[in-house]
Amino acid sequence: MTSKEISKMNNSSVDSSNKPQKPIICIHDVVVAYQSNVAIFDINLDIYRNEFVGICGPNGSGKSTLLKSIIGAVDPLKGTVKILGEDILKKGNLHGLRKKFGYLPQMSEIDRNFPALVKDVVGMGLYSTVGLFRTLNKNDSERIDRALEIVELDQFKDRPIGHLSGGQQQKVMIARGIVNDPEILFLDEPTSALDFKVARNIMSLIRKIHEETELTIILVSHDIDFIRNNCSRAVCMNRRIVWEGNPKDKEFDEVINRVFLK
Amino acid sequence: MSILLEFFQAFQYPFMQRAFVSAFVIGVVCSIIGVFVLLRGLIFLGQAIAHSAFAGAALAILLGIDPILTIIGFSVVSAVGIGYVNQKKLMNSEVIIGIVFAFFMALAILFIGLHGEYSSDINSILFGNILLVDLADMLLLIVFSFVILLIVFAIKKELYFMTFNSQQAQVSGVPVKFLSYLFLIAVSLTISVSLKAIGAILVFAMIVTPAAAAYQWTFKINTMIILSAIFGVFSAVFGLFFSYILDLPSGSTIVILITLIFVISFLASPKRRSAKKDLLECPFCKDYLPGPCDECDGDCDLGIPHTHEDDRIIISTKHLPDKEPTTHNHMEEETKQ
Ligand SMILES: Nc1ncnc2c1ncn2[C@@H]1O[C@H](COP(=O)(O)OP(=O)(O)O)[C@@H](O)[C@H]1O
Ligand SMILES: [Mg+2]
Repeated sequence: MTSKEISKMNNSSVDSSNKPQKPIICIHDVVVAYQSNVAIFDINLDIYRNEFVGICGPNGSGKSTLLKSIIGAVDPLKGTVKILGEDILKKGNLHGLRKKFGYLPQMSEIDRNFPALVKDVVGMGLYSTVGLFRTLNKNDSERIDRALEIVELDQFKDRPIGHLSGGQQQKVMIARGIVNDPEILFLDEPTSALDFKVARNIMSLIRKIHEETELTIILVSHDIDFIRNNCSRAVCMNRRIVWEGNPKDKEFDEVINRVFLK
Repeated sequence: MSILLEFFQAFQYPFMQRAFVSAFVIGVVCSIIGVFVLLRGLIFLGQAIAHSAFAGAALAILLGIDPILTIIGFSVVSAVGIGYVNQKKLMNSEVIIGIVFAFFMALAILFIGLHGEYSSDINSILFGNILLVDLADMLLLIVFSFVILLIVFAIKKELYFMTFNSQQAQVSGVPVKFLSYLFLIAVSLTISVSLKAIGAILVFAMIVTPAAAAYQWTFKINTMIILSAIFGVFSAVFGLFFSYILDLPSGSTIVILITLIFVISFLASPKRRSAKKDLLECPFCKDYLPGPCDECDGDCDLGIPHTHEDDRIIISTKHLPDKEPTTHNHMEEETKQ
């Protein structure tokens, strides 16, 4: 079984009435290396509109690298990545495409006293739509309010970002990721630094966003249960794609056991 | 009163007018660019740039040419060089900054040694003298400051985003590499044109300290920029005033004033004002709760009555003895206190 066959199978089960869709993301034979270290290789993956893809794998297995190669933050040694039919490795394309996706890198600590309010941070997600010298306008601040409402932090918009708890900060980052109405949202371990209860809270927020919007979500997470119960497709990585398919399959558990516990 | 009169009378002399204009312009440009230097954590980089600018000045004195070109040349080369090494992550940034810093000091000392005599020119570039700023210096300062501020305001929000999270800025389409270099060049130019008035040793205080003082007061970037500019201009202009009437070195007077402003800001900072006297920080939770808890609308997992004030969790001393955690309701707690 090739990745393409699986994607098509999954896709047709979602909406069989429609004619076969084109993939929204098309990754072909990608290899990424840092200096002389090959981080990921042999990556072939098609992702379709409105999918909710969960990527899992041990630490250092190249999950973050995979995300970064899709959004053009690292250049692959070899292979092609197409988003919405456009090759991101062609310099001109990437700039326009960036407006169509949101990305949350792995969490980093925020200085408690950093001079930024919650609404400023969410507003950063709109900067790519505003030219030099210009600042955000009223329409933009309405979009910021809406994004904050979705993550249920609207009453926090004038608080300093450093004063929020880790979970709240992460929700703000999600709001920033979706404030420009992207078509694809990339989330890299959004709950890795949070305790269990808060992590669950964030995860159900992500599920809610996927259910209520047309968004295609690609999530890197160690939360196998969450992937099993919520994602439309699971991808298991260990420097290459070890397995992909329906996370409700028994095979998924077997692969997880094999990859994580060997 | 006569002192004030003396100061204002001095304004009939062109040197005093130039000094005043220069103080004002330096106060604005250094303090505004300083906001981003501070937030981006480029403090030591700026210090290294200032010292390489001094080496440039020493070379010009040795060769007997106009120093501004060598000052700009040296400072831009060192800034871009350090920026390049950091960009490529070839080594820890502190290492390369330390090496460049020492190397340019060595060059400066070498040029001074070759020159043979310790001239007053060297003295004035090392320590600066705002009263000696000539017309050409002042015009250069004004033109460059205008260009620098234009650059900073053009890329303000992008710089701000990079400062907050450069990886995310890059992914969102901010040309992080290009803007980092552009910003470093703007910092070099700021230092270069301010050198004569403030001096190589102190110029960096004009960049860092107003911004650090402004940082104490606000969580809004625009307010921080405005406050920093006010502090910068205030200390530069009043520094000029005191240095003139008390016959003190101008650069040092200005820097002492701005440092005073910083100390006052630090002590009065609303960011670290501690809780009221009878209230203490929670000894149980301050270690593991960095801010308000996630679901503090009603019941809270903390297990001890407390209130949230800004960023801290505060519990009353009267609750301290009962270390046995209790569940409680915040609404009830408020009425009790
Ligand atoms: N910037 C980098 N420079 C060099 N090596 C890196 C870099 N980023 C990641 N790596 C290496 O690439 C491999 C994959 O890393 P990563 O994609 O972060 O894995 P994961 O996200 O699955 O933990 C690891 O061996 C890591 O050490
Ligand atoms: Mg990772």
